[in-house]
Amino acid sequence: MSEKNHNNKLKAEALWIVGFMVVLAFAAGLNFYITSQSDFSIATKMSGSNQIPKNSTPIIVDGYQWAWSFTYYNASGKQTSVDNLNITVNHTYTFIITSTAGSQSNAVIHDLYIPQFGIQVYAVPGQNNTITFTPVKTGTFVLECVEYCGYEHYLMRGYVTVVA
Amino acid sequence: MSATTLLVESSLVLSFFFIFLFLMYYKYLSVKTEVDVAALNENYYDYSSYLREKKKGGGAISPHSFIMNDSKSIGIRYLITSLIFFFIAGTFGVIMRVSLVEPQPTLFAHREVIYDILTTEHAILMIYMWAIGSALGLAYYLIPKFINMKSDRYGNASSWGYWIWLMGGLFILFSRTSTRWYYYPPLALQLNPYGAGAMNWLAVIGLEFIMIGVTIAAIVIVRNIIYERSDSMPLSKMPLFVWSVLFTLIMFLASAPFLMTAMVMLFYDFFNPVFFTGSSSSPLYFTELFWVWGHPIVYIAILPQFGLIYEIIPKFTGNKVYSYSSGVIALGLLLPLSELVWGHHLMESGLGIEWGLFFSTASFLVVIPSAITVFNYIGTLWTSEKIRLTIPMLFVINGIMDFVFGGITGVLTAILPFNEQTHGTYWVTGHFHFVFMGITVGIAFAAIYMIWPSLTGGRIYSRRLAGWHFAFTSVGSMIMSMGWVVGGFMGMPRFVSGYFARYMVYQDVAILGGVIIGIGQLFFLANLMISTAKAPQVEPSNVFEEVYRKAEISGGE
Repeated sequence: MSEKNHNNKLKAEALWIVGFMVVLAFAAGLNFYITSQSDFSIATKMSGSNQIPKNSTPIIVDGYQWAWSFTYYNASGKQTSVDNLNITVNHTYTFIITSTAGSQSNAVIHDLYIPQFGIQVYAVPGQNNTITFTPVKTGTFVLECVEYCGYEHYLMRGYVTVVA
Repeated sequence: MSATTLLVESSLVLSFFFIFLFLMYYKYLSVKTEVDVAALNENYYDYSSYLREKKKGGGAISPHSFIMNDSKSIGIRYLITSLIFFFIAGTFGVIMRVSLVEPQPTLFAHREVIYDILTTEHAILMIYMWAIGSALGLAYYLIPKFINMKSDRYGNASSWGYWIWLMGGLFILFSRTSTRWYYYPPLALQLNPYGAGAMNWLAVIGLEFIMIGVTIAAIVIVRNIIYERSDSMPLSKMPLFVWSVLFTLIMFLASAPFLMTAMVMLFYDFFNPVFFTGSSSSPLYFTELFWVWGHPIVYIAILPQFGLIYEIIPKFTGNKVYSYSSGVIALGLLLPLSELVWGHHLMESGLGIEWGLFFSTASFLVVIPSAITVFNYIGTLWTSEKIRLTIPMLFVINGIMDFVFGGITGVLTAILPFNEQTHGTYWVTGHFHFVFMGITVGIAFAAIYMIWPSLTGGRIYSRRLAGWHFAFTSVGSMIMSMGWVVGGFMGMPRFVSGYFARYMVYQDVAILGGVIIGIGQLFFLANLMISTAKAPQVEPSNVFEEVYRKAEISGGE
């Protein structure tokens, strides 16, 4: 191989690696930028330093085999619904989510996922995870469990209704 | 009969038995010495490769491979076994895919747990028996000639490793476990209807056995590469396939202890739940231990095949690898980086935003070595004057393309908001089936086609059938994974035996692809049967074994 050829090869390879790292750096920067926005929220373990935002309504979510139960307080008192959630548009909510045994012997790991809201959060036994979201459109959306949790896992799904 | 008589008689019987055993051993030793001398005279480094090639007509696919302990016999053992498990697990895959044809469970209505069992078995057997098995098989088969091995010792240890690995696989097959391949407790400790889960403990032991078996094999191969390498081959001239196997196995040995520890603790939890389900512990402890292993395993499943691509491309282009040193560096970089990214499997488990950003940035870094590798492949193809589109070469080109698709769909999930959208959906399934179908399956088959004459004792495969095999595998995997990726982006959940009707179109597209892949593998089976039924036509030579980096050669056709 000639010296010139070798240098060209080295150049091409270096160019590729640098170009690729620029693309990756852009993606990583985008990642940091989006996650620093105030309306971005990701599943976080509840602890002393991690409190529920002041302006949001807490909804206690309990995953058990094989359903989701949602508990929250409004003007008419304590509301509980199973596999169905009715919320108001342009209002901020915080899920406080955990997993219990229900009628089965074990509390197992679940994962609440609302595709159209772009949020998901694990329901872990003995741990409270929080996630904050604000629905911006009215309509009916699906919610699913996406962490395998037993043989009726596929029935652990329901609907979120957002009303004006 | 008095007790004394019984005692005397039984000791006599025992004595005769031991005398018989001793005679057998004596006979075995004298025959072995004879063969050893004969093998030495014919310049074979061990007696069993001499026996296989001289006395058994060179036919490799035979029960003899399961008795003899030279590297090549063990490689053939691994290849045969992994192929059998590939077809078992593949059948499971096609059956469960077909059962998803309608939103409501069809085939397994009221017996949905069977779907869960099939998914679990498909995953565990494909990863541990097919991906690791075929890689170990090719490593055992090819490395002795690649490094001009000085002596082939520790065959007994390899044989033990193989049998322990096989026993683990059978345990898992018969345990009917439905815990998914990641065994999350407390679900793994729970009983499901129809007895699914009753023998989850057996699946735990089975996985432990597999890990022990592969650890033995890994130690033997690493030792062979380092100590038995020919003096004429310094590390700087070692073939890239050998480098990739070395890195893979070191990666395995570095990360396997996490899984083995977790499995022992999980086994203990069946009887006394303290480690992961006790009041002061969390099931997340297990998930973290598991994914420290669970991420490296996906590199372990593709890295040997990366090395094979480096070996196959020069054979059909007559061109040298674009850059040997960057190839080695890229393979080596994956070692430390792959151990740092396990958290991206648990982004939504409550890690929080700081850890999320750490793991997401680490996941971006781990893409760089893969990018260098792909660049090397493309560079090699680009700079060669002519590319012969033989069957192995087609598999390689398809594998590179599938890897690019799989890589892009994979790195996107490292972006936190995107991860929230796609984690736990078919997007992830599509991502790794792109990579596994293209690289793990495709390149393993490419290598099998390359060594076909030496595997079958001088037969050649039918190009037409192999072409159909390639076409069906490649087109089917593209359709299947594309259906999944698009459906997953829309929120189609994984691991479900029934689903919302809105996802039916994506599921049905994936079913079409899955069935096409399944039919494609039948061409391979037919090819194997037809060609072994014919008389040998060529010298049972092995193109990989020709002088390393010799220019263009025929490539098994």
